[in-house]
Amino acid sequence: MRYVFNFRDVWAQWDFIASGVAVTIALTIATVIAGSMIGALGAAARVYGPPWMRSLVACYVECIRNTPLIVQLFIVFFGLPSAGLRLDAMPAAMIALTINLGAYATEIIRAGIEAVPRAQIEAGRSLGLSGVQVFRHVVLMPALRIVYPALTAQFVLVMLATSIVSQISAPDLFHVASIIQSRTFRDFEIYAVVAAIYLALAVVLKFAFAAIGHLAFARR
Amino acid sequence: MIREFNLIDVYYLLLAARWTLALTGIAFLGGGLVGMIVAVMRVSPFAPLRLASTLFVNVVQGIPLLAWLFVFFFGLPILAGVRISPWTAAIAAYAIYAGAFLGEIWRGCLQAIPRQQWEAGAALALSFGEQLYYIIVPQAIRIAVPPTVGFLVQLIKNTSLAAVIGFVELTREGQLTNAATYQPFTVYIVVAAIYFAMCFPLTQWSRRLERTLRVAR
Amino acid sequence: MSLVELDGVVKRFGDLTVLDRVDLRIEPREIIAVIGRSGSGKSTMLRCINGLEPIQEGRILFDGITVNDPITDLRKLRQRVGIVFQSYNLFPHLSVERNITLAPRVVKGMKDDAARRLAESALARVGLADKIDAYPDELSGGQQQRVAIARSLAMQPQLMLFDEITSALDPELTGEVLKVLEQVAREGMTMMLVTHEIGFARRVATRLIFMHQGRIWEQGRANEVLESPRTPELATFLEAVLH
Repeated sequence: MRYVFNFRDVWAQWDFIASGVAVTIALTIATVIAGSMIGALGAAARVYGPPWMRSLVACYVECIRNTPLIVQLFIVFFGLPSAGLRLDAMPAAMIALTINLGAYATEIIRAGIEAVPRAQIEAGRSLGLSGVQVFRHVVLMPALRIVYPALTAQFVLVMLATSIVSQISAPDLFHVASIIQSRTFRDFEIYAVVAAIYLALAVVLKFAFAAIGHLAFARR
Repeated sequence: MIREFNLIDVYYLLLAARWTLALTGIAFLGGGLVGMIVAVMRVSPFAPLRLASTLFVNVVQGIPLLAWLFVFFFGLPILAGVRISPWTAAIAAYAIYAGAFLGEIWRGCLQAIPRQQWEAGAALALSFGEQLYYIIVPQAIRIAVPPTVGFLVQLIKNTSLAAVIGFVELTREGQLTNAATYQPFTVYIVVAAIYFAMCFPLTQWSRRLERTLRVAR
Repeated sequence: MSLVELDGVVKRFGDLTVLDRVDLRIEPREIIAVIGRSGSGKSTMLRCINGLEPIQEGRILFDGITVNDPITDLRKLRQRVGIVFQSYNLFPHLSVERNITLAPRVVKGMKDDAARRLAESALARVGLADKIDAYPDELSGGQQQRVAIARSLAMQPQLMLFDEITSALDPELTGEVLKVLEQVAREGMTMMLVTHEIGFARRVATRLIFMHQGRIWEQGRANEVLESPRTPELATFLEAVLH
């Protein structure tokens, strides 16, 4: 029996698909912003903080990096209600994704901070800058420039990982795909289309980050 | 009928973890094979091979693992013509996915060997394959061990997604246990702890290996 | 028919012309020293002869075989043309013996015991017989370079190319390497050396070539060329080098 591929049923739902793409993009952007901030704070704490703070951040990083994202998501969405905190799918998704990115961003940015030569910091201090000012102007920007490729690669991974929130029925692109599947029974076609959309998003994102990188880190 | 979560459940979760490790092992073997081919293609002197493997890596890495699982799960039995069980398809998805990532890692290690080593081999009349086998790969393997072990950790975590297509490994067992006991917080914390117990030692080992390597240079 | 013939060879790297219509003949048993500034094309010319660098125009012949022809089997060619590099390029994961015997075993199918005897005699020629089981990182720069020479000699080539092989060495180590080169020359090998060692060139070379801007600017017997430069470029070069 020859299987007949039918993509028309899938294309008919293009507006539904578009809404899924919008949610995926929104989730990615929000996670990237929040997760980067946590990453910068975590990295600073890890490098400059007192021992107890360093251990705490280290614990956080190791726990997140050695457990799967889907399990973290389940803990936030299914588990927290028993501790009294009931969350909707989207907020839970955001929180889990942000906490997850925060751990990876902490490690990446920390590597960047440690790569800034000690001599630079000493120069900053001898010019009279305070500790925080040294961090902001002499350390953080060069550190971000150094790790920009690694960091943006992680951001692309975040975009791809948002597909996992479909498992708690957050209305992202992958969740849309499974709904369309149940409506049209075009299993292969819908997932092939969605896969292609993710690939396109990944390519666009990589170009966008490269362009931003050129603009932000241009020689001044 | 909801029952209490107790040590029996922990035991069953640990048993399910065996399937996590089994799936990881198979994916690593399959992916290792694919990865070796991809890495060698990437450094070969033939531009079409290089292009093909670059394309392969970028396409595989640009699509979420969940999507690959579903595409293979639903698509491969149809496209192959012959009957393929969904599980075989899912394992094929993991092998392809791991193959792309391992191929990238190993490609980096091969390219880290200085061009002069290739030239010295060529000047001694060795063919491309002989240069690769006798000179480049032995040196690249040493560099490749830490990131490969690091990737093993990724793979263990990635097997959690097999739960979504019904494969009963640790995460799925967690979902089933949760359905029986209605204690999601406890259940999933235990699941996370078991993953941690599997991954953390490997993470530490990978770090130690990398330190030894850096000192040895 | 000469052993090596270069006819109108042109080589470009992108927009940069590195070899500008080079014509050259090398006869058997000649010892040719090539001198010139960096960027004059001397190393490139060397590397074109065994096919490590492709050329855009012209022809290179080794013993009648066209080197730059795509269908030429470079593997066969490279068994007869040996090259030693500035940075030795020994294989760090192999012992000295394995470095020397790798190509004979893999390319020529030599058996292990015959290969070891070959390594022993090659090392004896360069004065390092006792280092046969050592690893490259246990040797000094001069010793590594001598092993590199032994490694090329073990393939019993008809022509040996040397690409500034003493430039990366500490001064006190160049002597031992130059002694080996003299020995190899005495044994009748055809050699072409890109070198900065003018004194060595004067003593050992049968012909001296001065390259400038991708062309052979002057050539002739070493003493004559060095004593009476005919062009201002060579005169300036010698002044800078021999101060």
